[in-house]
Order: sequence, then C-alpha cells, then structure tokens
Amino acid sequence: MKILAVLLGLCLVFVFVWERVDMVRVGYQIERLKRDKTTLERQRDELKVQFSTLSASGRIARVATKELGMSLPQQGQVILVQFRPGSMQPVAVADVSPVEVRVAKNDLLARRY
Amino acid sequence: MAGFVPSGRHYILLLLLLSGFGMVLFRLVTLQVWQAAELSVKADRQHRKTVSLEGARGTILDRHGKVLAMNVEVPSAFGVPTTLDSPTKTARVLAPVLQVRSDELERKLRQARSFVWLARKLDPEQGRRLERLSLDGVGVVMEGRRFYPKGPFLSHVLGFAGMDGEGLEGVEHRYESYLRGEKRMMVLQRDALGRSVFPTDLTERNPTPGHNLTLTIDEVIQYITERELEDAVTRTQAKSGTMIVLEPQTGAVLAMAVSPRFDPNVVSNLSPDRWRNKALADAYEPGSTLKAVVAAAAIEEHVVRPNTMVFGEHGRMTIANTVIHDHEKLGWVSFSQVIQKSSNIGAAKTGMALGEQRLHRYLQTFGFGQKTEIDLPGEGAGLVKRPKDWGRRSVASISMGQEIGVTPLQMVSAIAALANEGVLMKPYVVSEIRGPEGHLLKRVSPQVRRRVVSPETAHTVTKILEGVVTDGTGGKAAIPGFRVAGKTGTAQKIDPRTGSYSVSRFVTSFAGYVPADNPRLAMIVVIDEPQGDAWGGTVAAPVFSRVGEQVLNYLGVGSHEPVTLAMAR
Repeated sequence: MKILAVLLGLCLVFVFVWERVDMVRVGYQIERLKRDKTTLERQRDELKVQFSTLSASGRIARVATKELGMSLPQQGQVILVQFRPGSMQPVAVADVSPVEVRVAKNDLLARRY
Repeated sequence: MAGFVPSGRHYILLLLLLSGFGMVLFRLVTLQVWQAAELSVKADRQHRKTVSLEGARGTILDRHGKVLAMNVEVPSAFGVPTTLDSPTKTARVLAPVLQVRSDELERKLRQARSFVWLARKLDPEQGRRLERLSLDGVGVVMEGRRFYPKGPFLSHVLGFAGMDGEGLEGVEHRYESYLRGEKRMMVLQRDALGRSVFPTDLTERNPTPGHNLTLTIDEVIQYITERELEDAVTRTQAKSGTMIVLEPQTGAVLAMAVSPRFDPNVVSNLSPDRWRNKALADAYEPGSTLKAVVAAAAIEEHVVRPNTMVFGEHGRMTIANTVIHDHEKLGWVSFSQVIQKSSNIGAAKTGMALGEQRLHRYLQTFGFGQKTEIDLPGEGAGLVKRPKDWGRRSVASISMGQEIGVTPLQMVSAIAALANEGVLMKPYVVSEIRGPEGHLLKRVSPQVRRRVVSPETAHTVTKILEGVVTDGTGGKAAIPGFRVAGKTGTAQKIDPRTGSYSVSRFVTSFAGYVPADNPRLAMIVVIDEPQGDAWGGTVAAPVFSRVGEQVLNYLGVGSHEPVTLAMAR
C-alpha cells in the first residue's frame, strides 16, 4: 500500500511538473505563432498599400498615355450604346464577324470652344 | 552504534553543520520574510513586462471599397544612451541607415537618459538593415504609420494623421473617435532571456483596431475632377482652383478637389495654407453665379416671370451714386435673357423689386451665411450681412453677387437644391462606418435641410439656366448630347492695397447641373486669379464640360440624343 501511495505521489508530482513545463512550451509556441501572424498581417498590409498605389487611376492613366501610347478620348468620341433587353436578338459569338464601326455623327465638329 | 563516543572533531563538524544550516535558515528568513515584499516587486519587474498596445487606426475607403488611407506597422529606432560605450561610433554607423546626420544622432545618444527615439516610422527596409547591424544600445520597435497610398489624391478631404497617429485634418480629424484604435496596457511574462512567454491572463485579448470609414467619394470621379482642375489651374496660371461634384438628390459628395494639392504622407514642411480645404473654408464673392439664386427667389415670390420684360438701360445705370455696367449693352429683354446674358443691371433691378427683407430671407434659406454642417472640419459660414447693416447700394450689389461671401460648398449646395426640385440637402462625405470585423455600425442617410423653393420654380429656373448654356455666357459648359443648366460667374477681387475692386484679379466660376431634365451631378468650378482671358464662361465652364462628360460616361448615363452608327462589313 505504502509503495502504491509513494508511486501515486510521485506520479502526481511528475504530472504537475509536466503540466508546468508543457504550459511554458505551449506558451512559447503561442508566442511564435503570434509573431508569425503579426509578420503575415504586416506583409498583407504592405501588399494592400502596394495594390492601392498601383491601382490608382492617376498611375493607370500615366502608364496608358506615356508607356502604352494611349490617349484620352476627345469630347463626343465616347458613345454610350444602350441595350434594352428584348430589343435585340441574342447572337452567338461564332456568328459575329468583325465589323468596322464608324461614327456617323461626330460631336467634336459641333463643339463650341 | 553502541559505544560511540563523540570526539571533539565530531562536535566541531556538528557545529559547522549547524552554523551552515543556521546561515541558510537566516538567509531564508531574510529573503522570504523580512525582504519578501521588496524582492517580490523586484522579481515581478524582471519577469513581467507591461507594454502599451494600441489597435491599428481604421482604414478609409472610397465608395467602392478602394483603399485611400490605412495603417501599416513600420520600424522605429530607439537608443539606450546609458549602455553605450562609444556614442560617436554608434552614431556614425547609424547615420547612413537612418538617413539622419551623425552629429544629430550623437547628440541624442549622449543624453543622460535610458531611452531616446533616434528615428521613427522608417521604411521596412531601413528596419531590416538596422536589425542586421545588431548594435548594442540600439533597438527597433514596430509602430503604426499612416499611409496614403495614392499620394496627393483627395488630400484636402482625407487630411492627415500626426506622428503619434492622431488625426489632425480632414476626415482623419473629424472621425478621430471612430478611426483611433483602442489603447490598453498589457502584462507579459518574460523568461530569463527576456523573451515573452504569454500574457498573465491568457484570455486577455489584443486591443481592438479602429473603425473603417467608407466615403461617398468615387475614386474615378475624384481623379477626373482633380486632373481637369489641375490642368485648368496650370493652363491659366491661376493661384488656385476648387471643384466639387455632388449628387443633388442626396447631397453625397462624389468629388472635392482643391488645386494645388499636397501629399499627406509628407506634411511636416508644409504651411497650413497648403492643407486648408478651400472648398469649404474660404469665402469668395460669387459674382453672377448668385443670380441663379436671386432668379429663383424672384420667381418664387412672383416678382418676375421668365418672359417679364426688363429694360437693360443700354448697359449703364446709376444706383446710389455708383455706375453699374453690363458687358453687353441691352435694351428691353426678357427676364430669362437677363440671366442668360448675365446682366448686372437686370439682376439689380430684380433684387430691388424683391426688396431687402425677402432677398436676405432667401439667401438664408438657400444656406448662405451658415455652415452646411458637412462632416468635415474647418468649414466657414461665409458672410451675409444683416439688412440693417446694408448700404443704399447693397441690394443691387448682392443681387449681382457682390457684398456677400460664400464658400464653394454653399454655392454648389444651393445650385443642387434647384436640381433637386427645390429641396436643399445636407452635404456629406462619410456614408458608412464599419467595425474592424466588418459589421455595420452606422449608415449615413441623406438629410433634407429644407425646401427652398417649389418644384415649379425649380423647373422654371432650370429652363432659364439651360438657356445660359445654349444661348448665353455659359456655352463652353455644354456637353454634347446632354442638357446642361448652369450659371457663369466672374467676380472682381478686392485689392488689399486700395480697398476697392481690382481690375486685374478675378475669381471665375461656373455652377450647374447635368442632365438638366434628370440631374445626376451638381458641380461647381472656382478658379482663383486666372491670367489672360479671365471669365467664368471661358475658364471655369470648359472644366465643367470636360468633367461632366467623362463622369456621365463613367456612370453610364445615356445621352438624350440618339446617335447613328453606320456599320459596314
């Protein structure tokens, strides 16, 4: 009986010590994961800032005009074609042959500057 | 053991043992009882670290969720001067990394203090280089830095945050209580090497970040507005320019631009004049744009009708010993033509027919002389004198936009009321406030301030203002395929030296809305001191037209005129 009691006592001591050691180990693990999380969040935020900078309308316009040789449409050159459902028959993509679209009315000519 | 007789050596050994145990016991009592309180505090100080943590400042987004301002953690360098052997050497090594002069760093490192900031909110790369140096007595901590990724874009509305993360201008200042993250102290346990183990209370949560704001501003509309305004200011060599785009039915500000802009990422060297939002802080004499309001008041009060004939005095009339001129010598013209031709004499006569009290009442009703209560700081109320302070010429002067100070925001709100069938709305820039996890905290609904004129009067004035663009001074505000209503304004500035109106310094403006039959945009363009041909119709009206056309295309608003497309195979 005495031996059993001593063994039980020793077990309890070991469990207690193991628990404390494991808590410290888990604590370090939590800290490491927290650091990783912080680093990843920091990278995410840096990427968000970078994305916002790169997607700014001003930058896109600059790249389009200076690097890609594009230019802003002049007044009257943008024509909004409105599609009302039911007014046109749906056309399969394969049926559409390339067409040249010419603007019959150019408001640029009528522009009063 | 029987027969054991302790000898003298045994007694000496026993004495030594007892003395040893006694000393240990004495030390134990000293440490555990007498010095217990003091040592426990010391131990706590070594094992526990109290840190001040602050949640990240909230993000500011445009109406489509594009990031306009956000916080990013960046490194800050600090020094511990008391632990340094050679401040000179340390300063010399640090200077190129921190991009601070070495003598300045050395001065900081020679202070008799245990902590000094060496450089705050550095670029991440600088922090990495600093960590690689691993200098004794120099450390790096992470701090939140406010970033405005689009640089000077929307700078006057966003404002900026200071070094310690507090909002100092614009939306950043006005919504400080929402944007600021929670600040709290947290206790951490440290091991023998000083590493954090875990918070004393594992359930302790991190400080909550600030709330996120969604603006009514549309990034694309703001870009178009800023680009066209900047172009006009540069081309006319003007002192500055302002443009506001409103949604007339709600009062939501779609764009608010001030030129020249500033970069909120770098404000330390700028004067407050650069970051003041002139669109709502600065009052100017509106000149003829105010005639639209006078016309609305006169029609509402049945003083005139669009076809009422007014004599233009052939361009010259004397009121209270002062001669008023028109730029065009008009005879008998309809009231519509008075507004379309921007006749000062016709407007003065209309104002006089309306009378002091009614004119003053309508100015107030349209919101002049009082703040619009927009959710931005620094708004000015403009200047509308009480009738008892008016001179003999005041009614005539005010009717043509002199002797009155208005802000561009007040003017565009008043014009937007005409576009909104006579209902004045409260302008606003923040539409939503969301918590850090994305839950909706507050949605701002459009607020009606009051009805200023009847819908019939608003429609009548709209027709007159359409005539300004089709047959009057505002021809260059026309947008192909759309009906535009608006009014030009060219106001002389007061010369501070003489105290009278300058003959060379003007404020030119155009305020209006489009499409006139179903207004989607109310806009004002104000160009301060343009050089050369300085008229509202030649300087400001083209900006209105260019911005209006591009924004209507962007919004997908169709033209009322059918366009024929010839398609050839």
